[in-house]
Amino acid sequence: MKIELISFGKISEFINNQNIEVDGIADTDAFKQYLENQFPALKSMKYKLALNKNIVQENTEITNNATIAIMPPFSGG
Amino acid sequence: MSAERYNRQIILKGFGEEAQQQLLRAKVLVIGAGGLGCPALQYLAAAGIGHIGLVDDDTISLSNLHRQILFTTADIGKLKVEVAAKRLQEMNTQIGIIRHPIRLQKNNVLDILSRYDYILDGTDNFESRYLINDACALLNKPLIFAAVSGFEGQLAIFNTPDHLTPSTNYRDLFPVPPDKGEVANCAENGVLGVLPGILGTMAAAETIKLIAKIGLPLTNKILSYNLLTQEQYTIKISHGDGYTLPKTVDEFLNMDYQDTSEGPLGYKEIDAGELVKLQQLESTILIDVRERREVPILDKQIFTQVPMSEFGAFMSKEFYQKHVVLICQHGIRSVAAAEAMQEKYGDAKKIYSLKGGIVKWRDHFLKP
Repeated sequence: MKIELISFGKISEFINNQNIEVDGIADTDAFKQYLENQFPALKSMKYKLALNKNIVQENTEITNNATIAIMPPFSGG
Repeated sequence: MSAERYNRQIILKGFGEEAQQQLLRAKVLVIGAGGLGCPALQYLAAAGIGHIGLVDDDTISLSNLHRQILFTTADIGKLKVEVAAKRLQEMNTQIGIIRHPIRLQKNNVLDILSRYDYILDGTDNFESRYLINDACALLNKPLIFAAVSGFEGQLAIFNTPDHLTPSTNYRDLFPVPPDKGEVANCAENGVLGVLPGILGTMAAAETIKLIAKIGLPLTNKILSYNLLTQEQYTIKISHGDGYTLPKTVDEFLNMDYQDTSEGPLGYKEIDAGELVKLQQLESTILIDVRERREVPILDKQIFTQVPMSEFGAFMSKEFYQKHVVLICQHGIRSVAAAEAMQEKYGDAKKIYSLKGGIVKWRDHFLKP
């Protein structure tokens, strides 16, 4: 399954925007687990996922060619 | 109202006299007269928002000037709200500017916010952002949110329903604040002056769109802006769970927003005067927790360098000093370091963090 990954802020320092090929990942919970295994720095950070430009609030099915964004909170002014 | 002043926007198709009247009747509170607040205030005042309140308890410093474009070199040391209010009033004599030279806290935020129709959050820390978010949710006030980090910005409108979704709030995105030190704020992190200029201006535009009911404001959406690529990415926000919003004033007053005024337990935030006194003691160690590349460089004979990235390793070793003073650029990372030390040493050592950091007490650190 192809997924386009988009990241913001501090997270983009260790996860580049990229197209990835993953297998056996059916939903956003599994994908979150996958991300935190691939990029352990995420585990200690606050972030939110968006699937196809919608904030992920509950476990959601991922289909081929999905876009997933990873967004940390900003506070600067 | 002088129609001539606003002529160029009144004659706009889709704006007109009625929209201008709505701006004139609106009361907008801008929180933080900083990098985001300055440009937002300028455009809101110029556009003819009838009542503009500004909240900030800070004074102008030299390192503000590259992004806080209401201020001049001659203004250094003056209160931001005073200088900003004067400039804005000169720019537009037909509107009311209300000064609030205070820091918003649990005990004053509801009173101040309740006097306005729209709230623009241009603050620079998570404590204030969660405090303002919860207060706006409680008071049912539209909140225009702008924030920056590095070369990127975020912009959103909360507490405003649209035809599809009931209103969402910041906690639907990030239910709880990050831990101190998890995310550096822009004072610690550096920011290109023009970035908050862009985001602050966009926040002013969203405010005007909301008031004048034009276009598609970012209600229930968050826009991410990247200055380096000029890319924007908009995400739809829906209602989430995993957080509790205070539903009553009493519940609000019982929330923990880590107001610095209330003082975190255990360690103490000190000023330069107290630092000097502690410095006289034999049993004091002064620790600079900034990374090694940061300037100004302090005298290494006096200040032990322990960057935050090496702090864990440092704490695993024994040291004899009883008084530990932690110092960083703005007094934010030093608080995180103080919390970590307090947790490890408890009452065995006295822990201090220099409030405002080296920037605030520049004269003390750089005296010849």
